[in-house]
Amino acid sequence: MSGQDAPAQEPRARVSVARWAADLAMGARFAVTGGRESWARTIMTAVGVGLGVVLLLVASSVPTAYQQRNERGDARATLSYASKVKAGPDTLHLSDANTDFRDREIAGIVMAPDGDGSPPSPPGVDRLPAAGEMWVSPALKKLLDSGDGKLLRDRFPYRTAGVIGDSGLSGPNDLSYYAGISPKAFDHVNSDYHLAQWGIQKKGEGEPLNPALLLLIIVGCVVLLLPVLIFIATATRFGGERRDRRLAALRLVGADTHMTRRIAAGESLFGALLGLAVGTGLFLLVRVFIEGVVVWDISFFASDIVPAAPLALAIAVAVPASAVMVTLLALRGIAIEPLGVVRNARPKRRRLWWRLLLPLLGIALLAPLAGGFQATSGGSDTKAYQAAAGAVLLLVGVTALLPWVIEAVVERFGGKGSVPWQLATRRLQLSSGTASRAVSGITVAVAGALALQMLFASVQARDSHSTGQDPRRAQMMANVPVSTGAEARDAFERYRATKGVREMLGVTEGYVSALHHSKDDPSTAPEASLTVADCPSLREVAHIRSCKDGDSFFIDAPPDYYAAGEKFAKPGAQVNLAFDDEGMPDLRHKKLWTIPASIKVVKSRVDPIGSERTGVLATPGAFDVAKLARPHAVAMIRTDPKVPDATEYVRNTSAALSPAMDVMRLSSTAQSDEFTVIRKALFIGATATLLLIGASMIVTTLEQLRERKRLLSVLVAFGTRRTTLSWSVLWQTAVPVVLGLALSIAGGLALGTLLLKMVGQPLAVDWSGLGAMTGIGGGVILLVTLVSLPPLWRMMRPEGLRTE
Amino acid sequence: MTPAGSLLIATSLNKTYGHTPALDGADFSIHPGEVVAVMGPSGSGKSTLLHCLAGIVRPDSGTVQYNGRELTAMSDSERSGLRRGEFGFVFQFGQLVPELSCVENVALPLRLNGAKRKEAEARAESWMERLEVADVAHKRPGEVSGGQGQRVAVARSLVTSPRVLFADEPTGALDSLNGERVMELLTEAARESRTAVVLVTHEARVAAYSDREVVVRDGKARDMAGVR
Repeated sequence: MSGQDAPAQEPRARVSVARWAADLAMGARFAVTGGRESWARTIMTAVGVGLGVVLLLVASSVPTAYQQRNERGDARATLSYASKVKAGPDTLHLSDANTDFRDREIAGIVMAPDGDGSPPSPPGVDRLPAAGEMWVSPALKKLLDSGDGKLLRDRFPYRTAGVIGDSGLSGPNDLSYYAGISPKAFDHVNSDYHLAQWGIQKKGEGEPLNPALLLLIIVGCVVLLLPVLIFIATATRFGGERRDRRLAALRLVGADTHMTRRIAAGESLFGALLGLAVGTGLFLLVRVFIEGVVVWDISFFASDIVPAAPLALAIAVAVPASAVMVTLLALRGIAIEPLGVVRNARPKRRRLWWRLLLPLLGIALLAPLAGGFQATSGGSDTKAYQAAAGAVLLLVGVTALLPWVIEAVVERFGGKGSVPWQLATRRLQLSSGTASRAVSGITVAVAGALALQMLFASVQARDSHSTGQDPRRAQMMANVPVSTGAEARDAFERYRATKGVREMLGVTEGYVSALHHSKDDPSTAPEASLTVADCPSLREVAHIRSCKDGDSFFIDAPPDYYAAGEKFAKPGAQVNLAFDDEGMPDLRHKKLWTIPASIKVVKSRVDPIGSERTGVLATPGAFDVAKLARPHAVAMIRTDPKVPDATEYVRNTSAALSPAMDVMRLSSTAQSDEFTVIRKALFIGATATLLLIGASMIVTTLEQLRERKRLLSVLVAFGTRRTTLSWSVLWQTAVPVVLGLALSIAGGLALGTLLLKMVGQPLAVDWSGLGAMTGIGGGVILLVTLVSLPPLWRMMRPEGLRTE
Repeated sequence: MTPAGSLLIATSLNKTYGHTPALDGADFSIHPGEVVAVMGPSGSGKSTLLHCLAGIVRPDSGTVQYNGRELTAMSDSERSGLRRGEFGFVFQFGQLVPELSCVENVALPLRLNGAKRKEAEARAESWMERLEVADVAHKRPGEVSGGQGQRVAVARSLVTSPRVLFADEPTGALDSLNGERVMELLTEAARESRTAVVLVTHEARVAAYSDREVVVRDGKARDMAGVR
């Protein structure tokens, strides 16, 4: 190189940067100064990109939102597992007092100071509620003040002292309260504890994320966000054909190929930047409205929805950069000449090997993990990353395979079939890239959602278990904290008198002890259970043929069923009824009772709650319940289905009996709600993605139709029927969507099978999810076709033939 | 005036687009096998006259009679059927379906009429041979020259053996050599099959292939038979 060459290159580099900037700026100017068409294209791109950006911003806010929500939740936690707190001058005496109102949960805590010190106030309030006072969340206040909350008001015999601030709530729509009660009221509480400090005390960095959860999060993000990225890429191509013609005009006045590409990139860049602004604006709007959204009792404050800074920066850079890249890539196969646009008549054949390599690599990464990845606990970090990488490669691989599959399949169609079919398939043969680009989003969303649905359905089925409860025999159960048998009797009467209660089965349980100390433990005496109830209630706990007041029964069971000590409770035996404050048999102050010799032997029956009893059963006539020490009363309630809100009336009665309101609805199975929520969220996410893809397909189809306005008019001129062209639009949409769905079902089933093997679950296909996804896919085809028909018919008018 | 033996007769046609009158009492007639050139300056209403004659556009007033049937009284589907079976069309550009091969384009009107694919394509190929474009039968329109594409379009317009061929500036996008070849082939084929041709053009050398000229000016058609 001569010494003169070097300085000559430096200005060229500078000129290049200046040239780039000038061309990009010119492109940006074309985006707005080209009249209505330019604006339409720019707005279409901006709205498309904006929709994608808003989804990305919301997704990037999820970690922050959950972190903030969890931090607030942790700050008001009351249970300390590390050590049991003993009552002191600065401690609080507490009990959980959660309740439900219709389908919503209300979290409550009742409290009283243990001493005269200064116990800590819960977060969100500036002082402790005095006895008879309560602090309520804004949502609960609203509910209590509303007409709907009239029934609920009876449950809270407290004066509202104030509203809990944001720091004391997980989300703006939380229904929660803190109530002050008298120390004496704790006598009517089943479970209580003491607290010295609110919140969970975390040591160090906290628990690392469960690897299985990490796997699900990564796969979930890929499933929902990859289609959004694909959509953004599609949106930047909106109106591309028209733009190419404009670029040809620029070539005519002297622009070279590189310049036209830079100008095109500038035009897309402007659209993408505008989209970024639109997306940010929409995101700010979403934040405003997000406080009003409650999904499965979860809500967020607007201030929680803040994108993580690195992710927001990545979005701000990646979206415009990808718009430029996509435009330059799209122009690769096009020669823009001064006299028009020449598309490569036959695009280069797509190669299969690398497309196949991606899913195979994914399978290779996932297969060795079979059985070695427990969804609940096990799995190392390396395994989690290996699994996530495998899942991502498999999903991306399925998407990469799609253009090849569409090309390979449509090529085999030949020219056979009806005219609409021929028009559609020939169109696809000529430009299968456009179709596969649009559908690839569907492929990732459906394949991923299907695989995760399979995994969740299987884990959920495993975690769902029978409770042993029988809601046909009783619909509600209340644990009534009572000090004496007489109180139990009164409580049952109150339930019986409650509106909406058809029948009340009340059993009062206590213990009797032997008159001698236990051989194994000399500090105590053997105990046996004594259940007192009327005949209908006893029939629920034992197989009793005849029963009248005054009868008593002994539950017969195999010898190994009874604990060794219980065998003292035999017909005619004398037993002790006295127990001390700690609940231990009090043999010094014995109260004697003789088990009737005429006692009938019966078999035990599982009660509606799912429990089985042993020991002695007595009717009130045989044993005076008032004599029972430390009794435990259980009310099994049959509600009247004809009375609306019967459940709420029962809950109100429970509230009147105990501030802790220990009452529940009976259900035969218990299901993990978390998985239901995730499955529903996945379904909604996948549906939204399919609709988003549908929207981009509509725009692409309309664009194609507009480009062919004249051709459509010519076809009409020589007598082509409307239906012929309508069917061709339907086929043109249906073929790629059906192929995409088929491929995604195959990919989804493969990934689902591998995920199930990894967590050691048997293979089970979620047919309902598969059917739903396929249904939505079909719906998208119909929607795109239906939306395309009116403009198609409009463009088929003979006006298209006019040139003047 | 109703010239005896006319295949297509238009009387007092009026058509306005918005506030712009395109036809203002135009009359026209054509006999079977006759080639009539419709001439006139740009914007004079030539294409609108052709669209009204072919039943593509319904005139605001006036009548068009084809073979004794009132075209303006027919339903849209009846007129579409007529265009599929009895009429043929050639336009200046943008008329071939880009994704179909040339032979599929030529066979398209037959297929729209319900013909089987093989049968339609065999007939299409014979017409392509007559119009000297058999060698591009399996190429797509984007892969052939303008002249070849126009001859493919002519083959497509004649493949159904129409009784009337409507040609709107059929050589407008071609150079003179190609244009003349297209006209030679078009008129030769039309005369052989006694197809009437309504030829809209503004070029005198194209009009020279016609038997008669009609000049459209300000929406009125004037027969130049006497003038010539």
